[in-house]
Amino acid sequence: MAAPLALLSLGLGSLGCERVSFWSSEPGPEGAAGPSTGVVGSTVAGVSVSAGTGIVIATDAAAVLRGVSVCAIDLYDRFVLDATALTTATEAFASSGTSDDRDRAREAWRVAIGTWQQAEVLRVGPAGPATLPEGRSLRDEIYSWPLVSRCLVEQTLVSRAYEQADFIDSSLVNVRGLAAAEYLLFHEGTDNACSASSSINATGSWAAIAPAELASRKARYAAVVVRDVESRARALSEAWREEGGAFGASLASAGRKGSSFESEQAALNAISDGLFYLEKEVKDLKLGKPLGVVDCDESACLDDVESRFARHSVRHVENNLRGFQIFFSGCEAGGDIGFDDLLATAGAGDLGASMQAHARAALGAAEAIEEGDLASLIVTDRPKAEALHAAVKLVTDDLKTDMVSVLDLEPPATVEGDND
Amino acid sequence: MTERLRRALFAPTDVLGLVAFRVFFGALVAVSALRFLAYGWVDLFFVRPTFHFHYLGFEWVQPLGRAGMHGVFVALVVLGACVAAGFATRLACLAIFVGLTYVQLLDVATYLNHYVLVSLLALLLATMPIGRAWSIDAWRRPAARLEAFPAWCTWLLRFQVGVVYTFAGLAKVSEDWLLHAQPLSIWLASRTHLPLVGPWLDEPVAALLVSWAGCLFDTTIVLWLLWSRTRAVAYLVVLGFHAATSLLFPIGMFPVIMVVGATAFFDPAWPRRLAKRLGGRFASAPVPGDVDDVPAPSARQRVGMVALASFAALQLLLPLRAHAYGGNVLWHEQGMRFSWRVMVREKNASVTYRVTDPATGVTKEVPPRAYLARWQEREFGTQPDLVLQLGRRIAADEGARRGRPVEVRVDAVASLNGRRRARLVDPEVDLAVLEDSLAPAPWILPEPSGDPPVRVASR
Repeated sequence: MAAPLALLSLGLGSLGCERVSFWSSEPGPEGAAGPSTGVVGSTVAGVSVSAGTGIVIATDAAAVLRGVSVCAIDLYDRFVLDATALTTATEAFASSGTSDDRDRAREAWRVAIGTWQQAEVLRVGPAGPATLPEGRSLRDEIYSWPLVSRCLVEQTLVSRAYEQADFIDSSLVNVRGLAAAEYLLFHEGTDNACSASSSINATGSWAAIAPAELASRKARYAAVVVRDVESRARALSEAWREEGGAFGASLASAGRKGSSFESEQAALNAISDGLFYLEKEVKDLKLGKPLGVVDCDESACLDDVESRFARHSVRHVENNLRGFQIFFSGCEAGGDIGFDDLLATAGAGDLGASMQAHARAALGAAEAIEEGDLASLIVTDRPKAEALHAAVKLVTDDLKTDMVSVLDLEPPATVEGDND
Repeated sequence: MTERLRRALFAPTDVLGLVAFRVFFGALVAVSALRFLAYGWVDLFFVRPTFHFHYLGFEWVQPLGRAGMHGVFVALVVLGACVAAGFATRLACLAIFVGLTYVQLLDVATYLNHYVLVSLLALLLATMPIGRAWSIDAWRRPAARLEAFPAWCTWLLRFQVGVVYTFAGLAKVSEDWLLHAQPLSIWLASRTHLPLVGPWLDEPVAALLVSWAGCLFDTTIVLWLLWSRTRAVAYLVVLGFHAATSLLFPIGMFPVIMVVGATAFFDPAWPRRLAKRLGGRFASAPVPGDVDDVPAPSARQRVGMVALASFAALQLLLPLRAHAYGGNVLWHEQGMRFSWRVMVREKNASVTYRVTDPATGVTKEVPPRAYLARWQEREFGTQPDLVLQLGRRIAADEGARRGRPVEVRVDAVASLNGRRRARLVDPEVDLAVLEDSLAPAPWILPEPSGDPPVRVASR
């Protein structure tokens, strides 16, 4: 052992690289806890976390990856149940058209989107972009925000393209998914967002639809898109499960033969990339822009809030923060193993505790806001919205500086080039 | 010039050592430029970005556009081949220096130590008669052919490569490196997937061992390469560790550059000896003439020697300039570039600009990504002068858009070698009215105190 370590001592410790990315083409060694044989139903063994004793018990990357897999499958399973309930409720509404069924469908949407917002911070595997290992972009199929187009949805209402068998396969993601469903279930107005020169306005085809017919079409269209969401949710869950695509096992066995990830570090990087959702999407797009502090020339850009029709945007941020906690600190099903344990192993337990505190504070700030609509909150109690924005920024600063440094992670989309 | 120095510098040496160096170097330049073309880096680094970070005083250096930039790299490929073949050799070396330097001046965020080294080597080779033996130039003009090169050529290359190794080693004589084993402790722990040694890499003692070994290697390898009795073993070690770094990290041509660079320490007749050992049919080594046979240097040559001596002095002073600023250069980064402080920092930053319109008192945030490509965003935040540069650009743009001056402040925090993050730049300073300069920058805040984290083994 001494010889290779000595050679490596020279190789690593001398002139070389600085702030490098590293993607080994070789499978890594079996972890000390042994190879993972799957995730579903397994316990996260061989790891433990710092307890109140003050003694830090080390955690390795493999344990974190196993924990993430278990948490992800647990979360996606919950989303399948919620998506199924949403389909049931929306189909009932499409059949009856009653306000009671409409309210039940709306509530089912709120529950489903709540679970999905927790999953938003997980951008690895089938939900992630096709450029990543086993990426299938299922996230965009389920919830394409901020890629949304009310006008396109309204044009689809006029054309009734949603009634065609190939609608799902032939239409853009911004006329499908939970975002389209939100408009269809919650917006009762008969106005549209298309320009006067748009065909549905220029030809009078929109105006020709009677309000009752419009409501009926919205309900039927909603039923089509939520059925697709349920289908995608099942596909996503299956893809993670051992008996399906086994992505969870692939993630948990990163660096070993058969895994899509060449190393545990590459897998950790992919997961941490998802956590950066808090930086651009949550801090800047969901909060900063409506508050008027980022990319907005007015004192506020209220039209840019995330959930304009369900008026649920604060709850979305709240669930994003819950999702962050799940994958940063771990979940109960996954043995509560997360990045904070890796930080403790790296000698930065105080950083892990501080990050947890910041995440809890941000979540607390969101939970303390009773108003679900960020646009209303900005008008009536702007300091609360600003405080939430500031609290999220503390978490993202933790992520971008301390955490990526201590764990040697690469921020998302860093170019692969030469380093020294 | 003393007689002793003249003898040392102008002693005739076998041409083959430098010929081999020339061939390796030309090939290396050609392959390096080809990689930029093949991997799409020309577009990524020089065409697509809408904002470029400039070196102080070189703001006028601009990209040539897509066709022009691709043309530059195609030209570098051709020039590298010319140097390897010995065609218009000096001119080609000079053109490589100009081309590579131009490319590096385009954007500070692309700064890499090994690109700088290649530029400098090209400049040095342009001063040497390396195209007058075993080359197309020599074949076309037999009268100009040389049977021996003056020793100063070899010594100059040794000096340049030696400067890199030595200053890289001296940069590691620090508390972080030797006592806290940082940043290697961070880096090694994330490489436990490596075959054979991986499981040991997150042992705290491993990082310490590697840190000390690395420091000793960098600070002493030049001596071992210079001493003929240890040269062979030293070069084997050089090959070993550069092969290891090449396998471990995406550092591109860097290991190749250093492996080629280290051949400058060989006896100039090494290719001839190697060929003989391998059964080749090289002509016998020319018997070097006595230095007394070499005419005394002309006035032009004397001027050249003074210029090269000045160059050497500059190479020694540039890395030392950081000490004039005080504090930790890894934190404030003043004097960091061109000082060969490689692999001594793991640094990450978060930067948000705040633009205030004094007329209205309204403050807006501007995220750097509004101006920068992701790779630029990754690099710039840790370097205060670049944070200032983008701040001034934002001030100019926002001022022009509103028709009146604005104030720009920045929330810039950074983490160095695993320490908790701290503010890097004074958040109260208006960047719009700050001028960048080489003077110490009081708007850069002091480095955070405290030790980096200490790992717990995970096994």
